[in-house]
Amino acid sequence: MESLDALLERAPTLVKGTATLDELSEAEAELLGRRSVVAEFQRGIGRLPPEERPAVGKAIQEARRVLGELIETQRRRLETERERLMLASDRVDVTLAALEYPEGYTHLITSTIEEVCDIFLGLGYRVVGGPEAESALYNFDALNTPPTHPSRLESDTLYLDWGDPADEILLRTHTSPMQARYMESHDPPVYVVVPGKVFRADTPDATHSPVFHQIEGLAVDENLTFSDLRGTLAYFAREFFGSERRIRMLPDFFPFTEPSAQMHASCFACEGGGQCRVCGGVGWIELLGCGMVDPNVFEWVGYDSSRVSGFAFGMGVERIAQVRHGVSPLRHFFDNDLRVLSQFR
Amino acid sequence: MRVSLNWLADYIDLPSWDPVVQANVLESLGYEVEEIDRLAPRFRRVVTARVVEVEPHPRADRIRICRVTAGEEPMTVVCGAWNFDAGAMVALALPGSTLSDGMEIGRRAIRGVVSNGMICSERELGLGEDAEGILVLDSETPPGEDLAGFEALTDAVLDLSINPNRPDVMSYVGVARELSAYYRVGYRLPDPDFPKVDATPRIDITIEDPSGCYRFVGREVWGCEVSSSPFWMRTRLRASGQRPISNVVDITNYVLLELGQPIHAFDLETLGGAGIVVRRARTGERLTTLDGVDRELTASDLVVADRERASALAGTMGGGVSEVTGRTTEVLIEAASWDPPTVLHMSKRHGLRTEASARFERGVDPQLPARAAARAAQLVTRLAGGEALRMVTDVIAREDRMVPVTIDFRLREAERILGPGFDTARVTDLLSRLHLVVKGDDPMKIEVPTFRPDLTRPIDLVEELARLWGYNNFPERVPRGPGGGRSVAQRRIRILRRALCGVGFSESVSLSFMRAAEIDLWGWEDRDERARSIHLKNPLREEESILRTTLLPGLLRVANYNHSHGLEDVAIFEMGRVFLDRPHPVLPKVPDQPERIGILAAGRLGGTGLGLSGRQVDFYTVSAVWRAMSRHLDLGEWRLDPVEAAGWHPARAARLILDGEAVGIMGEIHPAVVRKAELAGRVIAMELELDPLVADRDHWLFRAPSVFPPYTFDLAFEALEELAAEDLLAATVAAAGDLLESARVFDEFRGPPLPDGRKSLAINYTLRAPDRTLSGEETGKALRSMADAARAVGAELRGDL
Ligand SMILES: [Zn+2]
Repeated sequence: MESLDALLERAPTLVKGTATLDELSEAEAELLGRRSVVAEFQRGIGRLPPEERPAVGKAIQEARRVLGELIETQRRRLETERERLMLASDRVDVTLAALEYPEGYTHLITSTIEEVCDIFLGLGYRVVGGPEAESALYNFDALNTPPTHPSRLESDTLYLDWGDPADEILLRTHTSPMQARYMESHDPPVYVVVPGKVFRADTPDATHSPVFHQIEGLAVDENLTFSDLRGTLAYFAREFFGSERRIRMLPDFFPFTEPSAQMHASCFACEGGGQCRVCGGVGWIELLGCGMVDPNVFEWVGYDSSRVSGFAFGMGVERIAQVRHGVSPLRHFFDNDLRVLSQFR
Repeated sequence: MRVSLNWLADYIDLPSWDPVVQANVLESLGYEVEEIDRLAPRFRRVVTARVVEVEPHPRADRIRICRVTAGEEPMTVVCGAWNFDAGAMVALALPGSTLSDGMEIGRRAIRGVVSNGMICSERELGLGEDAEGILVLDSETPPGEDLAGFEALTDAVLDLSINPNRPDVMSYVGVARELSAYYRVGYRLPDPDFPKVDATPRIDITIEDPSGCYRFVGREVWGCEVSSSPFWMRTRLRASGQRPISNVVDITNYVLLELGQPIHAFDLETLGGAGIVVRRARTGERLTTLDGVDRELTASDLVVADRERASALAGTMGGGVSEVTGRTTEVLIEAASWDPPTVLHMSKRHGLRTEASARFERGVDPQLPARAAARAAQLVTRLAGGEALRMVTDVIAREDRMVPVTIDFRLREAERILGPGFDTARVTDLLSRLHLVVKGDDPMKIEVPTFRPDLTRPIDLVEELARLWGYNNFPERVPRGPGGGRSVAQRRIRILRRALCGVGFSESVSLSFMRAAEIDLWGWEDRDERARSIHLKNPLREEESILRTTLLPGLLRVANYNHSHGLEDVAIFEMGRVFLDRPHPVLPKVPDQPERIGILAAGRLGGTGLGLSGRQVDFYTVSAVWRAMSRHLDLGEWRLDPVEAAGWHPARAARLILDGEAVGIMGEIHPAVVRKAELAGRVIAMELELDPLVADRDHWLFRAPSVFPPYTFDLAFEALEELAAEDLLAATVAAAGDLLESARVFDEFRGPPLPDGRKSLAINYTLRAPDRTLSGEETGKALRSMADAARAVGAELRGDL
């Protein structure tokens, strides 16, 4: 029979030579199994003289310990190797989009309204809504629009076959009726923005829609001047279109503001001149109509126009979204084509 | 209004005639320049030439042989036009010249006669539409001049858009007056002088309706000859967008553009009874206007009539009978002042918007008619010959309209709206430049000339101050409001929108209309609030004729649109108002218009990818969406009750009861509706009132998660088909009491070995205590009471505990 020393001598080669866990198990059986040399010595220990037994027993223990460690080390090595191979074969194509979560998008009209409202909320405004089916009283009369004004004609305004015909119930043509409604029910100071749907007697085409959206702004306080209007709109233009924006204001005419103006912001896509998708090379983008609230509007709602002053503005939501994102023609806002909705952010 | 800078130069001297510079100035004054049209000759080597003699062509009837000179030896040119004779000045295209369309002119033989070039028409030179005859230049024009060098042909035209409150600017003099204010320079009116003869006017003028006509000036010119107007006038009219017609008609248009006073010329001899009466039309009276349309008039129409019949729609358009024609020799020039609303009403009612009505409906200076009639008479005698009568018939029915308005103005008005700096000196300077008469210090008395009908109140003057000072010369200041932020409902709407996007639904925005066919499609009964829709009085199209009573037709339309574009998996939601035929609960006089949220999905929804293509939507999709909504909005007390409703699947729809109130329906749309909408498969939808979902609620309270081990187990129950899963779940959950952490139905099963009409529901429960590990005794007791509770609602435990 082989000596323990000889066994310990050749064991490392045997153990380290194994390539798989199965081979290692075979080697373990050979070295420490029931038929191994170590087992033989163990079984033979009873036949030895009593005084030799402790020394031999100790040698067997030592051999077991050494062999055991040897095998354990090799097992860990083989297990690591096996996992390495397994993981290597678990490789994925990292470029493959194998799973998509369902996701939805906010409509561009909504996100534009939210963004504009956020800008004005930061200036201390509140956001309010109002009725879309409105009376001529609020849509026109309250806003200093004379009975003969062409905007009241059926060619411009959609009227409803509802209620007392004398009340001329209509689909509001602007968000401005809320100026009157809000001031009627709140004392100054007033700082509000009013987003919402508005309606015109227009057949849908590339640039018209019978329904579109506006955001009205109204500020009424003591000592508000034309400079406050200018500053507020310039602040808005810089927040919405970029900090480099300048504004210009040109005189315009609206029945419910005086002085009235249209506001342009410097183009964010060009320096002016040449071809430009956004401004057509003018260098300015017409953004909105605005002005100082006409004293007749204050009188109508019961404010003292000699004590308060204020400004109002109204912008087209589709218009400013279109300017920024190039969505065109207009119907893409209302067709709700999923290929368009999924572009909205 | 198209403003030719060449023409404008008659009335003002400007420091720069660069059209871009002037466009910017005019824009800063409030006149948007829609386009700058640069006019320049596109022909080359075309010279002025005098026709020396004209002879017939020996071998052709329709063409003539002309001898023309461009200052040197006369040359032979063959010409097919007949509107000239020897002595006429014409435009001669020499051999080697190019016409406006690029055509080159050479020397060529026409029927055996060599033509040394071509005599050109306006059209060939790109100067106008007239191709009937050749262009005849003014006879004083020297021969041999390069026509391309004519100053009148190189011009810049600014297309101005003028706001409705400024009729005074709709003329060359008006534009010059605005620029004179801006540049602090004077402007010129045309020289009013011309020879007149003493005679008694033939036409007697009466204003029967002073409410419609403030003033009527008639001026007669006898013995004129109607022909074409001179080249310079035709060029100016064309540049201003007017088509030249004949000298007398062109003069009326010229004066209109020059002074802003519309002028009408009558053929005096066609006026029956030698009189003009301004009156309301008689009901049923007819008038054929210059555009050839035979119009039936009503008593709201104001007409200029002779003693027999209406001959013009006041301030709008003349009539065919009294029209100036080539045979006219005696002309009555009308310059009148009409009531703006009357003209507006007529032009709208007859669908007739003319240069005249566009000005009258906004208000024309009542001081203008006399001057304008004189100017027209002057030009007629000058260009069409004849004699103008010294005596003018000037009937003023409304003296009150002729008086300038005076406004009391306090400086405080300006400072309050415009800020500091608007002191006496600045205000006086700015207003004087606008030709207002400023008197006094504070308050000032401001006298407003009659050409500014828009200035009646102090605030109107404030606007003028701002405008002339320059809107862009004001400093910027940003005022802050008192704040307050978004309301609770606004914040919760945002949460709801995010929740829906998170489960894969995109937001749609539809027009707020529906069609009659869509009401039929859903099968609502007549008394259903969804069928009792509000109609538009003046819809433009059938598609936009009825206000929506529900969001569902719009959502279905979106699904249909996407389906027809090959996109079958649709998941959308929309928030918006619907319009109901009942009074608004709070606002008087307007219809109720509550906000709703609508949801619709078709096709498959869920994760997609390798081996995954989402899940075909069905009732359980829509109820899952609802549960996600309810969790995000923290809605506590709600339940779904099965419902049979028109348009919905009879066995797959439920009414949502929230806090005891019905707030809407969700489920699968009836397959018949789906088919009619040209869709396929199951289509799910939901429509809820928005207000109760986003109303303020108590805040949710934190529950500490237990650190002790859970006891998780599955129970399967057998029950009658009719037992609602929710009822079984609720019963067992109640029985488990405080120990229950979660419960979830994970299997529903029908068929063998179960008998017909019975089903199996398998539920996964987790029990856990906050303060201890549950003992076997406790869990056993809980299980037994859960089984008892199930039995009480008619469900038997399958297998043993
Ligand atoms: Zn640009």
